[in-house]
Amino acid sequence: MPTRDTFYEVMRRHGVTRRSFLKFCSLTAAGLGLGPEFAGKIAHALETKPRTPVIWLHGLECTCCTESFIRSGHPLAGDVVLSMISLDYDDTLMAAAGHQAEELLEQTIEKYDGQYILACEGNPPLNEDGMYCIQAGKPYVEKLRHMADHCKAIVAWGSCASWGCVQAARPNPTRATPIHKVILDKPIVKVPGCPPIAEVMTGVLTYMIAFDELPELDRQGRPKMFYSQRLHDKCYRRPHFDAGQFVEHFDDEGARKGYCLYKVGCKGPTTYNACSTVEWNGGLSWPVKSGHGCLGCAEDNFWDKGSFYSAVTDFGVMGGAEATADKVGGILAGAAAIGVAAHAAASVVSHMTRGKAQETSHD
Amino acid sequence: MTEIVTPNGFTLDDAGQRVVVDPICRIEGHLRIEVNVDDDNIIRNAVSTGNMWRGLEVILKGRDPRDAWAFTERICGVCTGVHALLSCRAVEDALAIEIPKNANSIRNLMMLAQYTQDHLVHFYHLHALDWVDVVSALSADPRATSELQQSISNWPKSSPGYFRDVQNKIKRFVESGQLGPFANAYWGSPAYKLPPEANLMAVTHYLEALDFQKEIVKIHTIFGGRNPHPNWLVGGMPCSINVNETGATGAINMAWLNQVSDIINASIDFIDQVYIPDLKAIASFYTDWTFGGGLSGKNVMSYGEFPALANNYTNESWMLPNGAILNGDLSTVYDVDPRDPEQIQEFVTHSWYSYPNPDQGLHPWDGVTVPNFELGPNLKGTKTNIEAIDEQAKYSWLKAPRWRGNAMEVGPLARFLVAYARGHEEVKELVDSTLTDLGLPITALFSTLGRTAARGLECSWSAHKMRGVFDDMMANIKAGDVSTANMEKWEPATWPKDTKGVGIGEAPRGALGHWVHIKDTKLENYQAVVPTTWNASPRDSQGNIGAYEAALLGTPMADPAQPLEILRTIHSFDPCLACASHVMSPDGQELAVVKIR
Amino acid sequence: MQSTPMSNAEMRAPRKALYVFEAPVRIWHWLHALSIIVLAATGYLIANPLPSIGGEASQHFMMGNLRMIHFIAGYVFGIGFLVRIYWGIVGNKYSRELFYLPIWRKSWWKDLWGEILFYSFIRREAPPSVAHNALAQAAIWFFNTVLGLFLIFTGFALYSEGLGLESWADTWFGWVIPLLGGSQSVRMWHLFGMWLILFFAIIHIYMAVRADVMTRQTSVSAIISGWRHYRD
Repeated sequence: MPTRDTFYEVMRRHGVTRRSFLKFCSLTAAGLGLGPEFAGKIAHALETKPRTPVIWLHGLECTCCTESFIRSGHPLAGDVVLSMISLDYDDTLMAAAGHQAEELLEQTIEKYDGQYILACEGNPPLNEDGMYCIQAGKPYVEKLRHMADHCKAIVAWGSCASWGCVQAARPNPTRATPIHKVILDKPIVKVPGCPPIAEVMTGVLTYMIAFDELPELDRQGRPKMFYSQRLHDKCYRRPHFDAGQFVEHFDDEGARKGYCLYKVGCKGPTTYNACSTVEWNGGLSWPVKSGHGCLGCAEDNFWDKGSFYSAVTDFGVMGGAEATADKVGGILAGAAAIGVAAHAAASVVSHMTRGKAQETSHD
Repeated sequence: MTEIVTPNGFTLDDAGQRVVVDPICRIEGHLRIEVNVDDDNIIRNAVSTGNMWRGLEVILKGRDPRDAWAFTERICGVCTGVHALLSCRAVEDALAIEIPKNANSIRNLMMLAQYTQDHLVHFYHLHALDWVDVVSALSADPRATSELQQSISNWPKSSPGYFRDVQNKIKRFVESGQLGPFANAYWGSPAYKLPPEANLMAVTHYLEALDFQKEIVKIHTIFGGRNPHPNWLVGGMPCSINVNETGATGAINMAWLNQVSDIINASIDFIDQVYIPDLKAIASFYTDWTFGGGLSGKNVMSYGEFPALANNYTNESWMLPNGAILNGDLSTVYDVDPRDPEQIQEFVTHSWYSYPNPDQGLHPWDGVTVPNFELGPNLKGTKTNIEAIDEQAKYSWLKAPRWRGNAMEVGPLARFLVAYARGHEEVKELVDSTLTDLGLPITALFSTLGRTAARGLECSWSAHKMRGVFDDMMANIKAGDVSTANMEKWEPATWPKDTKGVGIGEAPRGALGHWVHIKDTKLENYQAVVPTTWNASPRDSQGNIGAYEAALLGTPMADPAQPLEILRTIHSFDPCLACASHVMSPDGQELAVVKIR
Repeated sequence: MQSTPMSNAEMRAPRKALYVFEAPVRIWHWLHALSIIVLAATGYLIANPLPSIGGEASQHFMMGNLRMIHFIAGYVFGIGFLVRIYWGIVGNKYSRELFYLPIWRKSWWKDLWGEILFYSFIRREAPPSVAHNALAQAAIWFFNTVLGLFLIFTGFALYSEGLGLESWADTWFGWVIPLLGGSQSVRMWHLFGMWLILFFAIIHIYMAVRADVMTRQTSVSAIISGWRHYRD
């Protein structure tokens, strides 16, 4: 077994001075929203630990998570792969193929049983004995279970692995299933989004490596550091929402002034993610800032919550007319009014035809 | 079977040793390749199996057509945005919506940025390691590498010290024993031909390109809010332009536009000073590796891309033209009409689907998809442990699309061949000058390297084209037009009750079409026929083989245990299996129960 | 706690007036009604905002005010509900009728059927009752109590999103959000709940007025004065 380098050793050998190493640690601490006292902890962790092996599997997905990951600016994806983790398997990036690639999985289990992080992009389909996603001639779900058996923890990248995402949208023909419903006995960190923000991905991963622990998770298994607030809570267009200034149609007067996109379907008020603060592609912009409402892509089953362009979503009745709460409710209330009027009329008629019939009762 | 000749003129012989490569890594999605090699290790039979199926079009049925772009965008995160754009085009076609000029320019800019970034990432991160030996780079002389770099371009990062640092970085990485993504590969194989200095230069640029690619996509971030998966809009683009009014900070303003302009300049620099010189340098060591032509010298096709005129998707408008070439005859280019039921058809004889009439091809508007996972009698292994597939039966999750019954190759090379044959000035000049530099005839393009070269040239063409499109858009804004979206037909009440539309274009990987049928304001049927389905297609009812299978034939392998040559050729197509293994929506049909035999 | 209905003899006994609705019940009823009106109006406008306002964002606080009013009315609705539960325990026997259904009692089912036939004009006589008849009790139990609790739980769950993780509202109600399939779904169901309440309110008001007009006992005035008077 080769000697495992600590992160610090690798950095030093890359010509990084101790001084800039410590600076990196304090920046990391600040980047994670932690106090300066954590910089020392990070430095200590990185000095004493070898690079953690990561096995990155792909199920049914579109590879947008990997594409997002390599957009990371801080830290650079190249630095993550070369210096922070040991990416021992990732079929999108690895040089080997076929059985040479698959051998690496067994080697990792042999060398690092119980020590590697399993990063899952995409999800396994369960219909057709799993053969809607075949890898090395076998169902993907077998590979996932096998690698999960020996891992330390799982990171569920993106909405596919976390919730199911687009292939699991109604009627989910392949029975694509999120990781936590297939792997029940391992800690799972969900990093939802379609895709998640690059710096959120690298932030979660570096936290796990630097602190050697899972980030604190919310009720649904998402790291609180990035998923504890709605986009709406920290949206720079929030003052327009509170004022009642809305974009009524795309490219109208309000759109050109950057008004709130709530009326054209923005799901920022119901979506937990870091877009409005961390922003995308090096903190440059994010969907609302560019003029399109949030699709809610980090939320469970966001595909089946009705049109992306209405604030009031529907019951997900497929194939028929849209059934929004307002429409159904309005019809019910209208029906009640008509029913009441009819009943009142019938009561009068009944009263008159029955003459002086004595009635007893009630409200 | 011993030896057969396919109707499209390829000889298949499955007598020799079977070599299975699954997974093919460094692609998008899951692909399996099986080949038979003869006693001289030359590939005589090839089988391409699409390994995944997600059912997106089934999922789209009954949804709001204005939402479709977001669903189809998730067909692929690598060529992100292209399906969304084509979906918008298809819905706009069905509803007769005309988009404003600026929206057309912004869409073109985003698509060009996609081409530039996608081709760059493909070359360095998905393809280069088929030609570049990382371990050999360790023995390079940094000074000689510096001289090599300075002799081929003006790229400023070229000092001996710079290359020494990178070399040390790689050395430490290798010495750590944790080789990560470079583990268990084919380093030292005799199939690698580059001298150590060229290897070191290429590995250095592997890392630089990884850092730089994320800059190009910022054009998506500015106009679409993020990348991957930026936002689009039926009727135009969701970003508004406001350059000189109150509240301009809330829209696309001068600051954003200047940033776009800078990204364009930086992209042109990187592509022309790093990518293209690297491509030429690497190619010059492999000029005698002439394999992998396959269909490229016979049948190629392009739908056309980058409409210069808004709402005009014909050759009058396409910056890269529409056309099909048959039997390598560059003197005749046929028009490809996506609406003609006789032209584009999909077959499922060898695909894991069933049709009412199994051997008949169906035009996408009439498409049916009922999954039918059925393995042939000569399968080696079991249903859930396939050792060797039986290609006489059904063997792929991909359908077999055909143009007038012909298997076609699509992609950058196909686009360039069609443009070349159509007499496209810019393309002719790019191709001719490159061939002259390398001292090669035009037929040299019909190869794995030809595909790789065409992609590089197209990347450069795209980066430069962004400049022109951007300048045109600025002129239009200067003329007082700031409109980016046409909302006249936004409300479903304005739509026809029953209508069909098609959106065609070219993804970085090749010809892409989306066909929609909208009924009572909902999607009745949605179909996408994507580039990798064309290229990686299994056999059709006539036995015609697809582009991947054809391209592998005749290639000698240095060592069948190391599938480097297979990877080279397959990677030259830039496979995208998540795209390819989509599904057609059956008109009102339930998904069938699957039987195994 | 059980509230045995009066014996038939007790019911049939001629009387002029009965003290049914105690003061806390009456106060709660009208506060509750008021909070529902305010919640429904503001809630509808939060889901479907008014046309956009011009000018600078700093000059207006339309949505902010609507939401604040909605939250205050929500507190009135929620706390009132708690107080009403308390009164259901300590109040008179009629005060608990809205919290349970005596489904174990055969006579209750018989009365329910009798009421349905009566309101369908099939039977001329309604079964005897005092505060709420069986049908009214079923309706009030479902629309007021069950639906009211549903609106309180979904409403405070949505409110917890603004207060943040680990806030009291999140601790008490935050679990509702994943249970119903996410924040957007909770909003949708919360809004739908409002429509169901309005549906009930229309019928409730009609029945009360109808009883006043067409029967020998008072109904509307009873919830004002507390006394149910029997005419003739």
